[in-house]
Order: sequence, then structure tokens, then C-alpha cells
Amino acid sequence: MPLSRDDAAVFTRIFDQHRHAVHAYFLGRVADPELARDLLQETFLRAWRRLSEIGPLPDARQRAWLFTVARNLTIDSYRASAARQAAEAALRHHAATQETTVAGPHLQAELRERLARLDAAIRRLPEDQRVILSMATAGGLTSRQIGEALGEPAGTVRYRLSQARKQLVGERLDLEEEA
Amino acid sequence: MTGPARHDLDELLAAWAHARRLPDADAERIRQAIVPAVPALSVTWWSEFNQKLSTAITRATATPAPALAALQ
Repeated sequence: MPLSRDDAAVFTRIFDQHRHAVHAYFLGRVADPELARDLLQETFLRAWRRLSEIGPLPDARQRAWLFTVARNLTIDSYRASAARQAAEAALRHHAATQETTVAGPHLQAELRERLARLDAAIRRLPEDQRVILSMATAGGLTSRQIGEALGEPAGTVRYRLSQARKQLVGERLDLEEEA
Repeated sequence: MTGPARHDLDELLAAWAHARRLPDADAERIRQAIVPAVPALSVTWWSEFNQKLSTAITRATATPAPALAALQ
């Protein structure tokens, strides 16, 4: 594809607009940060190759296009890793045995500990809830936007989000209610 | 869930999301890996542009010969 400054600018705008949402989706799906990063790169690489098609689309349709690619890549990723059950088992094992890396050294020990418990609790959520929670929090999407991206009604998204939050509150996160 | 607990969970989730988001520097590395570098402008671009501009100004402002003759 011949490269122009305009192409680069259009792509950068799309990348900056949607990268958090797509990354949050992959975090919810695969949990492994490295794999999520690789899948994010592959998604936008495909967007770059099809820039002449998706560049002129409105925001919502660009997002829909990106999430279609993201879903397909996730499925491919599951296949490549031989079995989704194995991935889920690995996630649960990771949650049970590994110390989380979500918190930086600058955070207070107490907050770091609470974030670690939250991270482990999020990993234990059912996948559909985990993905939606990740998209809503790390991705900054509304229920309607998540629904459009996943092909589900916004009401279903809100319900799953609510279920996820209920389950998290049931975990030992030392929320104020439990103190 | 009570109000304070909900608020507390919101804050904790916000901190979790912040920690999980892809850092800007990492995102930029990914972007650069995808988009090949756009060729920079020629190093002589500025001097060539100035030369063309000077020529255009000279032509536009030079007094035409008939007008010069009429003045004399």
C-alpha cells in the first residue's frame, strides 16, 4: 500500500480512539498481558491493511469492525493454544498462585494487596462477565458501546456487569461494607 | 451493596483499570511497528521553496518595461 502522511494520520486517529477498548477486550478474554498486547497489535495491523475501507467509516462502525477482528483473533488464539479449558485452568492457577503485577512499587502496600485480591477475583469471574467488566473499566466503554461491539443488547451487558460487581463484592476485598 | 461499598468498589476498579491499561509508550511502540515511517521531506526542500518564492516575488514586483518607459 502506498504510504502517505494522511494514511498515517488517519490510522493514528483510529488507533488512539479505539486502542484502550480493544486492549481491554483482550485483557478480559485472555488475561495474559503479553498475549493481549500481541493480539492488539495484530488487530490494528489488519486495520492498517484495510485502512482505505475502514478509514472513512464513522466511529461506531470502525469499532464494530475492530471487534469483529478481535473476536476472530481470540478464537484463533484459543485454537492455537490447543484448548480453551486449558487456558481457563491456567488462569485459575495463575490467580491462585501468582502474585499480581497490576500494582507498581509506588502504591501503598495495602492498596497493592487489595488490587491483587481484586485482580484474582476478576480472573475468577465467568468469561463473559470478565470481558464486559474489563471493557467497561479499562476500556471506558458504555454498556451500549459494549453491546454494539459484542453483538448483545445493552440490557444484557448491564445485567452481566451488575452480576460481576455482585460477585466481586462477595469476594474478600475489604470493601467498606465488610470492614 | 451499600453506597460506601459501591463507591469503594468503584475506586478499586478504577485503580485496577489504570494499572491494567496499556501504557502510552507501549501503545506508541505498537503503532510504530505497524505504520512504516513516512519518508521525511527532502533536506533541500526549504532552500528550493525559498528560491521559488523569491523568483515569484521578483517577477511579480519587477516594473514592466513599458511602464518604466512611460515614467521617463
